[in-house]
Amino acid sequence: MAAPDFAKIADRVFREFMAPLVLGGAMVPGKPIGARVALEIGEQRVAGDPDLASHLTLARVRVARKLVPIDRVEPASREEWALACALHDIVQATNPGFDGVFRRRSAALLLDLVDATLERTAPVADLRDALSRHTWLSRMFEIRRTDTLVSWWVGSTRFLGTDAPARLTAWPELRRVSVEHTPRALIELPANGGSVDLPRLGASLARLLARTPITDLATCTRATPPFAWTADTLAFVAAPRGRTIAVRALSRERAASVDAALGRATRALFARKSWRAVGVALELLAERTLGAALTATAAGKASSSNSDASFARAAGALVAREQIARGRVVLADDDRRRLLATLAPITSSALAREIDAALAGSIAAATSPQP
Amino acid sequence: MLERIALHQTRLRTPGLGLEAKGVALGAKGLVLLPSIDRLVALLAVYTREHSLEDLMPSLSISLVRSKLGTREITFEFAAESSDRMDRMSETARLVGGFTFTGTSRHFVQYRDAGAPFGYDATQLLATEATLALYHDKFTQTYDVDKQLALEALLLRLMPSVDPRTNDEAGVRYLVAEQGLGPALIHYFVRSRVDGEVCVGEWPPASSFDDAPVRRYVMRIPDLPKRMRPLMMKTPGITGFLPAGPGVAVEIGYRHPVALRACPVFDPNGLVLLRGRGDEPWSLQRLPQMGDLRAFARVELRAADVPLQSTARATTSPDAVRVPLRVMASSAAWKNVTATWIAPGEIALLRRLAYALPHQTIAATRIAITPRGAYLRSPAGIEAIPLGTFFVEVHAGLYVPAGHEVTPAVAPEVLYRALGATASQVIFIGTDARAISIDESAFVPLETALLEAAPWEPIVADAIEAALDEKPIDLKLTEPLGLLPLSAAEPPPATSGVTNAPQLGK
Repeated sequence: MAAPDFAKIADRVFREFMAPLVLGGAMVPGKPIGARVALEIGEQRVAGDPDLASHLTLARVRVARKLVPIDRVEPASREEWALACALHDIVQATNPGFDGVFRRRSAALLLDLVDATLERTAPVADLRDALSRHTWLSRMFEIRRTDTLVSWWVGSTRFLGTDAPARLTAWPELRRVSVEHTPRALIELPANGGSVDLPRLGASLARLLARTPITDLATCTRATPPFAWTADTLAFVAAPRGRTIAVRALSRERAASVDAALGRATRALFARKSWRAVGVALELLAERTLGAALTATAAGKASSSNSDASFARAAGALVAREQIARGRVVLADDDRRRLLATLAPITSSALAREIDAALAGSIAAATSPQP
Repeated sequence: MLERIALHQTRLRTPGLGLEAKGVALGAKGLVLLPSIDRLVALLAVYTREHSLEDLMPSLSISLVRSKLGTREITFEFAAESSDRMDRMSETARLVGGFTFTGTSRHFVQYRDAGAPFGYDATQLLATEATLALYHDKFTQTYDVDKQLALEALLLRLMPSVDPRTNDEAGVRYLVAEQGLGPALIHYFVRSRVDGEVCVGEWPPASSFDDAPVRRYVMRIPDLPKRMRPLMMKTPGITGFLPAGPGVAVEIGYRHPVALRACPVFDPNGLVLLRGRGDEPWSLQRLPQMGDLRAFARVELRAADVPLQSTARATTSPDAVRVPLRVMASSAAWKNVTATWIAPGEIALLRRLAYALPHQTIAATRIAITPRGAYLRSPAGIEAIPLGTFFVEVHAGLYVPAGHEVTPAVAPEVLYRALGATASQVIFIGTDARAISIDESAFVPLETALLEAAPWEPIVADAIEAALDEKPIDLKLTEPLGLLPLSAAEPPPATSGVTNAPQLGK
């Protein structure tokens, strides 16, 4: 087998996939990249198009500044190249072209290679690394494929991700041509021409999200793959500054949906009795609750139709009250009284009492500061 | 009978009269003729006001003389020595109505005056057997000595005059207490912490009916408190005296006509107490040995059944002396005020104040946020942030509240060692003496802690805005997968290992 041309592949991935992933526009994935190329393509790689790279840098800074006031971002690192290639192959795994004779298993094989790539990609080293990865992948769930259904008086045909030829849409009135465009999100693609099933695709996406915790948290309201606490995400929010960035990222989403996602994921930790992880997750919930109570936007929302969201609010309020009582939150006397009054309806709810009882003596250990 | 001595005159007729270096006629003696005893007292009073009689005493002689006509007058003789001394005495004598003469043995001529700057000389000497022959331009007279007058006796006979100003004079006082009052007065002084010395003097009985000498307590009080002075003056049986010179004192409330300090006629080892009202002076030929007042204090003995002494049977090493630290208010000037503690309730004030702080202050200040509040440190001084409780850095990493000091007053190094802090810890001792330790790494620049890092987005030019406009990501599957879609997709190289998930908390 001939050695792959890394420069050519990198140039194409950069122009046709990574740049649209950040800037938007037409994203044209190429042939599947595979694990070997994905892991090695980023070695001392420099973008070939300076203008495009400059635009990308500006756009990435813009993404970063939604969370942290920084002025510049570094070019793509080796890991970021690998993550981009992994996403490239995940997108390609949904390609309808795999839905053919002798090819149906290729998509799953491709996802296996993606998993292998992700396994060999280093977790985030620090906050800057996490933020840099997020600037590349923040829009990964905004990838849309436009499917076109062209129907005429004697038949119809579907075009998945491609434009219909002009001959089919000619003489539209005479031939009673109807063109229907349907945008489809990434997770809808397996059911629309894909040869890979959604759970398999979701698993690879979850692995990819684990390598970019800010993106994982910022998109926690997604349907597939559902948000779940991972070691990478917990390690990120365990650090106070990581937690601050996480709260900012979560604040851009609808609070009720975020509470539901976080509540569901934290409940899973409860079920597994991973108390240390529970402690980290509760710290984040408490910080969100305190922030909401300070701005009084969530005052009195003790109950919700969504039990997961209620769980998140009640657990966050319990820990927040504990932190205020222990003096771990520096507050003026007036603010302290106001906060306790705001949290009182939530902490006295039946659900809160259940959580309190479940935590019992473990709450102190769960909320103790992490080293 | 007198003629003025001319300039450069060298020959004089009066025996014993010579010319001194200045050309003034001067004999071996000077003589002042005074008409009465009161003029003598006046002479002494005026002269001793400015000068001492110490130089005159060896040659001083005061005589009561009688003229041929039987009039009695006073002569005051002394060694002439020099025209300066004679001039001083002459001026004083002129003031009190006396005449000044000079001579050597018998013949005395008028001392110089304004009319005869070089003095006078007698043109014709009297042939007489009288003791004194005085030649004056107004008279010439001979005198015989009736009797000698002792200066000391004269001074003792002089009655001190009333002078209330001496009541409040400070300094040493002598108190003479009658025998019955002495012990009580001594006890009073000892109890009142008044220093002094005391002795007992004996005087002959006042009358022949008394068979025992009169004993009085003589006390020397260096500084009698002002509050006690009226008591000492008004208590019958106690007489106060103020020293008027070596060996002599005058009763308080009276003043002697002559400045006794200029009359060294009293024995310094003795004591003469001059009383007012015409009472006779009390004199002690030799002052007895004086003892400290405290030695005469009333003594009390313990009861006989109480053991004489309590003897320890064994000795042990003393218990460790450890006292709790206290922080006390101090009036010492504030120095090195480089930290402040802002209570949680005042954090809101700090937030407001932050807008008014100059950059230099913000740049030099570091802050640590703790559950007990915010601690701010600035090596250049924290006064620019007028909030919270100020602290003084008494030792590197050790702060005590400004205006306070720790007790026991140990050295800051000792206190720092006693607290057992490490170099990476900063210790604040509050006014309640509780020490709070904060890790040095907890202090961050106020600059970075002050601004809330709110997310923000820059406003960019429209052209860039358009370029950066987040267009939707449109997935196009125009690139064919080819006949062998996975032909280029290879598994990972064997050398690259699986990366483990991170540990929680890293």
